[in-house]
Amino acid sequence: MSNIAGKAYAMNVITPIPWYKVWLNRLIFWAALKIPNVLNGLLTLSLIHYARWVIIPRDKFPRLDPSQPKEDLNYSYMLFFSNFNGSWDQYVDSFTFAIPSGLDLFWKMNVKYPKSVPLTPFHNYIQHNQIDTAHYYNAYPMAASNDVKSAKNVKKALIDFNAASSNKSPDEFLEDYNKLLNQLQNDFGEMRPTPIVSLAAQAVKERVMEEQRQSH
Amino acid sequence: MANTSGKATALTVLSPIVNQIIDGKSCADITRERCYRLPIHEKSPLAKVPNTYLARLFVLDNVYYESLTASDSIFNFSEITSIFSDSARLKALPRKDQLKSKYLVFSTNFHGDLDEYLTGMWEKWSYDDNGQQRGVQHIWEHCVAFDGVKDSSSFISYMKRCQLDATLFFNGSTDDSLQEQLKSLYLKQEFSKFAAANQGKSAADLQQAFKVFIEKVQPENLDQPSWVPGQSTP
Amino acid sequence: MTQNLDLTDIQGNIVKAYGSSGFFKARYLFLRVDDGDKGRDFVGAITSKVTSANEKLKGDDALTVTTNMAFTYAGLQALELPTASLVGFPSDFVMGMSKRKDILGDDGPSDPKYWDKIWQEKVHIWISINGKTSDVVEERYQWILQQIKATGGVTLLRGHCGEDGNGNAVDDLPYQDASVLYEKDGVTPTAKEHFGYTDGIGDPVFDGQTNNAARVIGRGKLTRSGDWVPLATGEFILGHVDEAMEYPQTAPRPDLLSNNGTYMVYRKLHENVGTFNKFLDEQSKDYPGGKELLAAKFSGRWRDNGAPLVHTPDNESKAEWDKKFAAADDATQKRMLTDFTYNEDISGAKCPFSAHTRRINPRGSLEYGVKDAFHTPGALVDRRRILRRGLPYGKVKDETSDKGNHGIIFMALNADIKRQFEFVQQQWINYANDFKQGNDKEVLLGNHSSKDPGKVVLQVEPGSGKPPHFVNNIPRLVETRGGDYFFIPSIGALKLIAGGLVDPT
Repeated sequence: MSNIAGKAYAMNVITPIPWYKVWLNRLIFWAALKIPNVLNGLLTLSLIHYARWVIIPRDKFPRLDPSQPKEDLNYSYMLFFSNFNGSWDQYVDSFTFAIPSGLDLFWKMNVKYPKSVPLTPFHNYIQHNQIDTAHYYNAYPMAASNDVKSAKNVKKALIDFNAASSNKSPDEFLEDYNKLLNQLQNDFGEMRPTPIVSLAAQAVKERVMEEQRQSH
Repeated sequence: MANTSGKATALTVLSPIVNQIIDGKSCADITRERCYRLPIHEKSPLAKVPNTYLARLFVLDNVYYESLTASDSIFNFSEITSIFSDSARLKALPRKDQLKSKYLVFSTNFHGDLDEYLTGMWEKWSYDDNGQQRGVQHIWEHCVAFDGVKDSSSFISYMKRCQLDATLFFNGSTDDSLQEQLKSLYLKQEFSKFAAANQGKSAADLQQAFKVFIEKVQPENLDQPSWVPGQSTP
Repeated sequence: MTQNLDLTDIQGNIVKAYGSSGFFKARYLFLRVDDGDKGRDFVGAITSKVTSANEKLKGDDALTVTTNMAFTYAGLQALELPTASLVGFPSDFVMGMSKRKDILGDDGPSDPKYWDKIWQEKVHIWISINGKTSDVVEERYQWILQQIKATGGVTLLRGHCGEDGNGNAVDDLPYQDASVLYEKDGVTPTAKEHFGYTDGIGDPVFDGQTNNAARVIGRGKLTRSGDWVPLATGEFILGHVDEAMEYPQTAPRPDLLSNNGTYMVYRKLHENVGTFNKFLDEQSKDYPGGKELLAAKFSGRWRDNGAPLVHTPDNESKAEWDKKFAAADDATQKRMLTDFTYNEDISGAKCPFSAHTRRINPRGSLEYGVKDAFHTPGALVDRRRILRRGLPYGKVKDETSDKGNHGIIFMALNADIKRQFEFVQQQWINYANDFKQGNDKEVLLGNHSSKDPGKVVLQVEPGSGKPPHFVNNIPRLVETRGGDYFFIPSIGALKLIAGGLVDPT
């Protein structure tokens, strides 16, 4: 198992939510998408590739065959999936420091949610309800979400520049080239493998790689 | 329903696992082990499934009982009645839930259309398991009613029966095709090196070097040169 | 509300940096406990001279020499602390520094296998002596040797690299000496280290540490209204509320063992002076602003007087700042050195994202100019601060060579080593995603590899049409030569440890 793939960490959290509050939660999420300020903090943190909240009403766990026993649950459940850059601590800490009210908003309706400040009850709550990932795949282990966004910039600017300026006179070319570098000056960070954020996870990964080397 | 954000799509699948024991092992454990044993990064079968950004598999054994964390933030009538009656106190404790099936959870973030994506999963998913090539069936084999899946269309309808909608899908990245993302990353890396290495060159030399660079990196050719899906080293 | 601290209970090195109070000489001793009973007697004997934060450091009847004491996890085991207390320590402290090398980036020449020999020993106790003269340090050292003899049960460990009395290189010294550096005259003390930078200007300020509001500017935490207030005490001292509105979770039981204590990171950092000088000379050939501006771009401050780049981004503004600085009184000078944020320079055009000061304390600028994005502007910064309590060691004899023993004894104090020191070291010095600079490491402290040397970008004014400057081929400028993680107990806790009285039940 590993919750880490390169620079991304896979978090899965499942929490109960009273069935009669589900509609309220849906309303909150709907509002969050409509009011840009709510997501402002999340976007500025810029640690997430993709994340989602999924609410499973208590009678909606997939049942595919009459032979499968019907679930009989007191609560509905909220599943949270995130793909973020950095270690567990860094992520959970950053969220509680930066956007405590946003977190409270998203989990408000959940059973025994402790609020994001102080930190330790929130840490415990997430840890208590977290499920480890068995296989995690990341298409770009060396890139953080910042890098993916920055790369998009680079590609467009480079193509535009090449079309507009590559055949100009050398002096004009140089002037435009310098403008290009100026425009992209915060897009030149080198991408290398992630620093090791967890010694335990690193040990697991090395064993897996070793096994895969040996099997070939 | 919010499974998409632009062209980025979230797919959440919960496939119930058959509650059976085969050769002393539960089907859930067999499934979990198969997930553990999937090769990682470039060799993951998901690297072959077109347009997969990030994806994961795990087995949901059960839900958790919320006895641990305290909540004193909202006035709760039961907290008053609890003082006078022990049965009221016990009633106010969270209920204990227990799942009757275990579920294989597949959560993926990808670019584009769901049917196309699932077709890609059915057709391209493959990996080497100690010398044996495995398809996507190997992971889902012990899920309820999966024995009815024979081709890409039955796979698509199976996955859709297991699908749950996202209430909120947050895209903190881009919604470009994976090829586009990987090509961009490649260009970012290569152009950074170029810019650093050619600092201070004369205009004519620089222009010449740039032409050679563009020929090498072919910015508009998404196929190559580029990073491969799951590329873990420079 | 201002926090009242039990200054008589807190060890003196936590609240103040001795070096800035005229204690220019220091000696660090490391001991092994061979016998629990006698070891505790020894701890008791030393405790009688351990300096509290209540002692007077300046003025007529002030101390001339101080003594402080701390323990590794193995040391606390050897002193037979109850298991119920031992299990309460955090795993980073339990593991110790050398086992954290992959987190810290201590690779290549910084790998623990190349550290001073003493780090192959079982280091249990750290004792520091800080003195106003070498003589008083030597005197206190002799007193400690007497205590070792008197109680037995502990061994003073040898194995520090340095020089003997005749200036010859040796590798088995029984202590590590440290000292401020002096001007060329040899008598005027400076706050500089061997690369020529002024050290320790922006040290954090926490609640209860000072009554002087002016000292908090640029050193505490930035509020939404733009004021500076002291950081929560619990960021630096156990048993006090921290920035997450709770008591630090790194405290072992019982409270009397952990309250008023903290954790210390001790690192011996060798400075490759020859490589640095050569690198700076070579790189400044193509740098339009000249050598000293480039040196400032590495650090965030000018080498000569510590002027912050945010207010002195070029030679002209620097000349003007210097004039004002020279004419200013002491309080104004201090303020000029610390009163700035990187929100004044969100593009990095003045102080680049790779600069040392920006990396170790981004001063509320991680909102990247997005108005009210976070709960507070310092949300991602305020829990990553460390108190620095170090001094340089050794002398540079040949400015063109890396050889010899010279560098910094870096000591960082924090309530949570993993969340504070290790985070800064790993995420901000050796990595730069929070600064949107990929894996580009900080120039001075980054663990650049000789196989694959690093680069950084020095940003320029956006829209100016000018290209940014690339600093290429950055070599390893600083190498780790030893160190470990220590627990600095309160003086009350030292007495409990010495008496074998720690009771977590």
